[in-house]
Amino acid sequence: MVLDVKAVTKVFSGRGRNKMVANDNVSLRIQEGEIYGLLGQNGAGKTTLVNQILGLITPDRGDIQLLGESVIGSPARARSICSVQPQSQVPLGFLTPKQAVTLMGKMRAGKQFDPKRVEMLFETLDMGEWANKEGEKLSGGAKRLTAFCMAVIAPGKLVILDEPTNDVDPVRRRYLWQVIRNLTNDGTSVILVTHNVLEAEKAVDRVAIIDKGKILTQGTPSEVKSSVSNQMRMELSLASESDLEIPSWALSSHRNGSRLIFAMDPREVSSTIEWAERQVENGLILDYSLSPATIEDAYIELTSKKVVVQK
Amino acid sequence: MNLLSHYKYVFQMQFLRNAGFFVFIALIQILISIGIVIGFTYLIPSPDTATILFLATGAPTIILIFTGLVILPQQVGTAKSDGYMEFMRTWPVKRSVILGADTALWLLITIPGIVASTIVAHLMFRPGYDISWTVVPALLMIALTSIGVGYGFSYLLSPTASLGISQVVVFGALMFSPVNFPMERLPEWLQALHEVLPIYSMAEVMRASLAASTFEATAGNYINLLIWCVLGYGGAIIILNKK
Repeated sequence: MVLDVKAVTKVFSGRGRNKMVANDNVSLRIQEGEIYGLLGQNGAGKTTLVNQILGLITPDRGDIQLLGESVIGSPARARSICSVQPQSQVPLGFLTPKQAVTLMGKMRAGKQFDPKRVEMLFETLDMGEWANKEGEKLSGGAKRLTAFCMAVIAPGKLVILDEPTNDVDPVRRRYLWQVIRNLTNDGTSVILVTHNVLEAEKAVDRVAIIDKGKILTQGTPSEVKSSVSNQMRMELSLASESDLEIPSWALSSHRNGSRLIFAMDPREVSSTIEWAERQVENGLILDYSLSPATIEDAYIELTSKKVVVQK
Repeated sequence: MNLLSHYKYVFQMQFLRNAGFFVFIALIQILISIGIVIGFTYLIPSPDTATILFLATGAPTIILIFTGLVILPQQVGTAKSDGYMEFMRTWPVKRSVILGADTALWLLITIPGIVASTIVAHLMFRPGYDISWTVVPALLMIALTSIGVGYGFSYLLSPTASLGISQVVVFGALMFSPVNFPMERLPEWLQALHEVLPIYSMAEVMRASLAASTFEATAGNYINLLIWCVLGYGGAIIILNKK
């Protein structure tokens, strides 16, 4: 076990008597070589949890163990076990990506630092054109990738990535996921903090959905999806603004301009396709797509359910 | 992994990150320090040698105060607001290593200005420099006090508040502190204040080592500097390690 978070609670007291519960009895465990996704909206308490794992802030209750030893007693040890890509951009100043990544590698690995790994990372992520440019002059995506490389150049046992794909183009995103996957092959574990749910679904081994400081559910992506619903979703683009009669087996539907989405039971798949084909022939819809419920559906259902309950 | 190699890499990281800025600041400081020596002689018609010696031995102190209490807090404020401070806190090194590396950098960029102003003043006015060996420890002590106090308040306060303080320091150090003129010219309440604040002690210690045959510093000046130095760095370390 790499990380064991045991019933951690963290409360921030604001002005006056305002109290904000950032983490509420959070427990999770991460095994060696696992990619663990932490999903949640802005202000859900993800970054607070990460900062406690790094020993930057101390939990009010509960304990966090890294490789079997508590973080609270030795935060400096936690910082050498974990390497981090922060959510905000790292201001590089006059540092070039090559200098920044090399120095971070030396700081982490000392004599074991392998300069070839810098070349390898830059090549894999197609960063060659930026390697020797001053950080100030780089685009947002290039800076983000540099910060990513600084986190993975000499990874500890646990790499924490906070929104690593923000600002990064779709092609390099794929390369980036490849680098992350290779890390885990070497036994490093990864925590991926994000609100980009669809992307996370493909990348993570296990996932937790966190909302208002609480973990609502955790498990493999398919476990999390089935905990919510076992529905299929049909998405149509309508040919005109004319009303289309929604089939009676639709469980719920909503329309957004010319797009119509409805949920249904998986047993209705074949009749739905027949129905959709007929509508295409009649010229009422342009195209359609049928997909299993995504983790995003589960995520929205779980987090919005909470709001409903609170009302 | 030992402290020394951590120090080396942190130093390189901080130096390269700010390299262009440091060159710029060092140049500006050369201009300011020469400006103090020459510019003030315009302000004072037909200055005597004693006045020029005061200005010439005050310029290095002004440079050290500017660096530690004005430029550094502005840099810390920027690092706080752009997230670099938070990023440094995640590094796998002791916080004191980061503070030590940064201190060395700030110390280094003051040296060109101090050396240039001293040489220029000597060649132009020959005001009676008598440089003692104590110049090295004195310079170190003044610089560490100034940098330490700068770290202390800029880590403790919000960027806006520390910016405010540095604006007051620029003006106060230049016009209302006994750095470029004798203490006796100030009103009594300001004299009393300067007995407590570190600026007067910095100026006295600097003067005593640059013109040893004309000026001397008291043990009280050294103790004052030591206390402020410890307060500044102590505060900075506590805030850096705060959770």
